[in-house]
Amino acid sequence: MTRSYGNKEITFAALAGVLYAFFGLLHIVEGLGIDTGMAGLLFIPGDILGGFCLLVIGAVFLNGLREMLQGINAGVSFVYVGILMSLIFMAVYLLIMGGNLLDSFLVPDDYEGWSVMESFRPGIYLGLLSLIGILYWKDSFSSNEVLVFLEGA
Amino acid sequence: MTEKITVALAGNPNVGKTSIFNAITGSKQHVGNWPGVTVERKIGKRVYNDVMMEIVDLPGTYSLTAYSLDEIIARDFIIEEKPDVVVQVIDATNLERNLYLTTQLMELGVRLVIALNMTDLALAKGDNIDEKKMQEFLEVPVVSTIGSKGNGIEGLLEAAIDELHKTRVTENVFTYDDQIEENVEKLRAVLESDPYFAHYPSRWFSLKLLEGDENIIKKAKESNSYSEIQKIMNQTDAEILEAKVADQRYKTIQTMLRQVCNINTSHLSGSDMVDRVVTNKVLGIPIFLSLMWAAFEVTFTFGTPFMNIIDIFFGWLAETATNVISVPWLASLVGEGMIAGVGSVIIFLPNILLLFFMISLMEDSGYMSRAAFIMDKVMSKFGLHGKSFIPLVMGFGCNVPAIMAARTIEDSRDRLITILVAPFISCGARLPVYILLAGAFFGRDAGVVIFGLYALGIMVAVLSAKLMRSTILKGEDTPFIMELPSYKLPTLKGSLIHMWERGKIYLKKAGTIILIGVVGVWLLASIPAPGSNGTFASEEVYGTTKSVIGMIGQVLEPLVAPLGFDWKIAVALVFGVVAKEIVVGSMGVLYGVGEDEESLSNILAAGAMTPLAALGLMVFTLLYVPCFACIGVIKRETGSWKWTLFQLIYGTSLAWGFAFVIYQGGTRMGLLA
Repeated sequence: MTRSYGNKEITFAALAGVLYAFFGLLHIVEGLGIDTGMAGLLFIPGDILGGFCLLVIGAVFLNGLREMLQGINAGVSFVYVGILMSLIFMAVYLLIMGGNLLDSFLVPDDYEGWSVMESFRPGIYLGLLSLIGILYWKDSFSSNEVLVFLEGA
Repeated sequence: MTEKITVALAGNPNVGKTSIFNAITGSKQHVGNWPGVTVERKIGKRVYNDVMMEIVDLPGTYSLTAYSLDEIIARDFIIEEKPDVVVQVIDATNLERNLYLTTQLMELGVRLVIALNMTDLALAKGDNIDEKKMQEFLEVPVVSTIGSKGNGIEGLLEAAIDELHKTRVTENVFTYDDQIEENVEKLRAVLESDPYFAHYPSRWFSLKLLEGDENIIKKAKESNSYSEIQKIMNQTDAEILEAKVADQRYKTIQTMLRQVCNINTSHLSGSDMVDRVVTNKVLGIPIFLSLMWAAFEVTFTFGTPFMNIIDIFFGWLAETATNVISVPWLASLVGEGMIAGVGSVIIFLPNILLLFFMISLMEDSGYMSRAAFIMDKVMSKFGLHGKSFIPLVMGFGCNVPAIMAARTIEDSRDRLITILVAPFISCGARLPVYILLAGAFFGRDAGVVIFGLYALGIMVAVLSAKLMRSTILKGEDTPFIMELPSYKLPTLKGSLIHMWERGKIYLKKAGTIILIGVVGVWLLASIPAPGSNGTFASEEVYGTTKSVIGMIGQVLEPLVAPLGFDWKIAVALVFGVVAKEIVVGSMGVLYGVGEDEESLSNILAAGAMTPLAALGLMVFTLLYVPCFACIGVIKRETGSWKWTLFQLIYGTSLAWGFAFVIYQGGTRMGLLA
């Protein structure tokens, strides 16, 4: 199977990279106790380690973008791995949300005034972007797939 | 008359050697062990063109140095047994790495035939290999095979027979720099003049001597010419020479590859793509840390509701048992001792299972090997081997399998260091203590404190390794060689099975050792101390200084008083040696609250201990003597009571020292007041 990247991969890497890096930084800044004014609106609580993870995913996408802009075809690897990582984190946040919801039924006293949206995180809604990505490039995620780029490494 | 020949089958691991062996020999195989070791030895037979061929399957090796047992077995067989022909099976999709062994076999001067295997996969990757050119360049017959389908086997056998009947074996010589060549010639002159060495290829033997090959030097020491040999060897630095020789071999391989094949460097398989990212120099470690964070987040946050379900169930069970049983002491034994004690351990089963599930996913997908690879550089700075990484990660679940997993490390010093530091990695059994104390004393910062304890465990492990490496276990660093398997999508069934296999050990422990332990604590807390007036299991005696346990605790108290611990903590820590989970169960019994952790938290926070003492206790629990099961496995794996005792004394001294500094230092500085 012969495949090469196009503008879609570049645009995707730029968009996802900037968004993940931006939201990761917001998490960290909030975690350091600095009020960005966006915590409530974008569901970003202070979380230094969670922010670090989003920042890493952003860096993976942006590194792919850098390589693709330099003409390195294999840079698309970073886009695909970035998609996989963001979906892993989306699943993690959904599990945590589900866990909290279940716990609120088991020990309602501990969850007085709590709403499920308090467990909603950018890792969930940013993951939707990657969900679109994996559906669009689904053939590239087959374990038997050998991707052959047309030029360069 | 049928001619009889011996053919040795050599090659790197995972190159399809077994499928070639099976295709040649069919069912005519005999499986045994190599003499003196438990490495499997397979021999098969095949008659082809009136030649009776005995095929010996050598262990898979990357080179013929003396780093591992497999390499020594393969090399000794070729040198000592002198098979008529050596067939090297090569993975056509990974020529560069495989040809390194070829260069060494050629230097040995054996009659060599190359089976270029998996050519179908190479073709699918877009690699175009010119066998004819390769044969011309190497001056060795090259036969294309697909072992899994049996393709090319007859051609291979014909080539082996032809090679045997050649009148002269090609003089395969790689030329090294002038200084090396000069010393090789000097050594060759000595070796060729001594009949002791007549059995060995002199050029190869000379090179190995200059490379400082321990096994070869040992052989040379038995000769009369050793003093002369030693003089020549002393003129070169073995380490530098070994690197120069390897460099030259790779240069030769690269020169050949450019001429004989057109490797499609513009393609990547799925595994290559993932590896390009996860083993990236800059991003590799941050990606690994992120994935570990995700694993811990799922383990501890998603596990909470399941812990609550178990907590509710055991609370109900203990209450029911206490109400139903009319004999007060029996009700206390069953409710406050057995159910509460076992319940306080089983409550953490969801965390343990989730953690094992996450580790299984990483292992089954093939990511864990990459994690070991990217961590090798960091680990080697602290005197640990890259392969130590997987055992240490497993230690987060349970130290027992972690210590056993150190078996994969070839070097005995690296293995011993890994075994000795593995108990410092915070296992799941310590978690109940952290959750109880961090929750009681540090409120919203409990998560940070627990994360800090995990980090402290890692720090103590790596710094201890560094200390041991530079003092009592000095030695050369061994190279990190590890096959990186292709990535696979882990199956839910497979990961669940792995999770359960490890999780059931925890569950079994709860039903046996821990149950016995908590019953023991209950009994000692109920039996009146000699000389006291109380009666068995009465309120006046149970868990007080009037009980046997109270008496023992008071004897131990002076040892732990400088750490801010009272006699109840001393007793709980002693019982914690049976299994770390018992620390919490014992505290529940001794503070008279049974399985109710909230009440225990409240009692502790209300003044039974200070926040500094609580922090010290968590650190003490992390570092002091590991559990019985762990001690047993350290003894078994090191085969030495000396090292086992060393671990126990070293760990407990560290634990006491850390707790002392935290409590006394913190109190004097007015911290956490």
